[in-house]
Amino acid sequence: MNPAHMHLLLNHVPTIGFAIGLVIFVAALLLKRSHLRRAGLVIFFLAAAITITTYVSGNDAREALKESPDISDPLMQAHESAALVAFAFMQITGFFSWVGLWIWNRPSRFGRWNMGLVFAFAAVTFVLMARAGYMGGAIRHPETGSAETIPIDPSAPTLARSWGMFTQDYSWVWPACETLHFVGLCLLLGVVLVVNLRLLGVGKTLLPVATLSQLLPLGMLGFGLNMVTGMMFFVATPEQYTGSFFFFKMVLIVVGALNLLCVMLGKTLEIMEDGPAGIWTRFLAATSIVIWMAVVFCGHMLPWLGNSF
Amino acid sequence: MDFLVRIEESGFSQWVREADSLLAFPGILLLHTIGMGLVVGINAVFALRVLGFAPSLRLRALEKFFPVMWTGFWINAITGTILLAVNATKLTHNPDFYIKLVFIALAVINIFLLKKRVFIPEGVPPSSMAKILAVTSLIFWLGAITSGRLLAYVGRSSGVF
Repeated sequence: MNPAHMHLLLNHVPTIGFAIGLVIFVAALLLKRSHLRRAGLVIFFLAAAITITTYVSGNDAREALKESPDISDPLMQAHESAALVAFAFMQITGFFSWVGLWIWNRPSRFGRWNMGLVFAFAAVTFVLMARAGYMGGAIRHPETGSAETIPIDPSAPTLARSWGMFTQDYSWVWPACETLHFVGLCLLLGVVLVVNLRLLGVGKTLLPVATLSQLLPLGMLGFGLNMVTGMMFFVATPEQYTGSFFFFKMVLIVVGALNLLCVMLGKTLEIMEDGPAGIWTRFLAATSIVIWMAVVFCGHMLPWLGNSF
Repeated sequence: MDFLVRIEESGFSQWVREADSLLAFPGILLLHTIGMGLVVGINAVFALRVLGFAPSLRLRALEKFFPVMWTGFWINAITGTILLAVNATKLTHNPDFYIKLVFIALAVINIFLLKKRVFIPEGVPPSSMAKILAVTSLIFWLGAITSGRLLAYVGRSSGVF
């Protein structure tokens, strides 16, 4: 099983998986059921995380197929750019869903605004993702006849290729993104260490666990910075990020997102005061540190164990 | 000059530079990256807390995480020395390398100055001097990261990292 194979498994999460979330979320808004609404937010957040692996594995599928005579590379490129736009909206939806989960127990006017934002972005994401999925399906399914319905101009560079040309034309873009990728790494690692070492017992007499939640947006900022700069690298030179090793890094990020969700939904950060944390909490804290260190390891080792540069 | 060449050509330096092992150059550079995450990460959380972010976090409690920060610092002092030894002649001829060292020196002095103004009796909000030091601390580390990253792109050491 390779990442190209994984793309076939994962490509239904951003479309069908996300649609289930959307139905639940809209039903919750109409029926005014807050638990259902929370479930919708969780599905959006998870779908956004898993979509990272869907997007990057599509690149492996294209690398494997682009020399095939019966496959249209311009169509694959059109699918790539449609997926890129949908991916961006998916991540914004995931971010606001996370914010909704983060402020869940603190009712505020912003909280209601945020639900509106989540709904608006989720609706747009669904339309864009359905479009990307339609184009993706057209690549290998002539029986649907959908390939003929997609207008393609092979001479014009697609969005993703223009992005790649931008980083090539301006030599400062790449080092600037690398520097920001390091800044994001520091912010994320700083928050991961303080939060999880506290859950493991460091500074427990001075630092109530309830206050740790305030640090999470800083970690999210670091992650967001690295998602944006990471996408700059990926979209510009996709051929550098194929293979199982890079895909493993992306899987680790999804596991990291799951870990965060377990900590936030488990009320770990709300009820626990001073004193030692339970065994489950300590397990989550220890694995979180291991996961994010492993993400740094994988990113760093890409030139040696992956196929970049 | 002769001294730098001798370090660079020592058996250890050659091993780090040329060995086909992940423990050699890739591993040492990885430790340098993780050390950076520890130092700058903890320092950034601390500085942002002084500036008013996450206000219910007690500043004194963050002092408990300083050993993590200093661990990162010493990891980087050691791995940084090795990385310097491996490319002694190129790095010592790169002005960017000295800019990086100055930023690190300023950032370290900054930590001590900031600590002295912040770890005072509870309940006293950070002074405006403390806030200025928190901002300069973030700037110095940003400078160190940027000049460190640019070592791979500018001057005689470009292409090495």
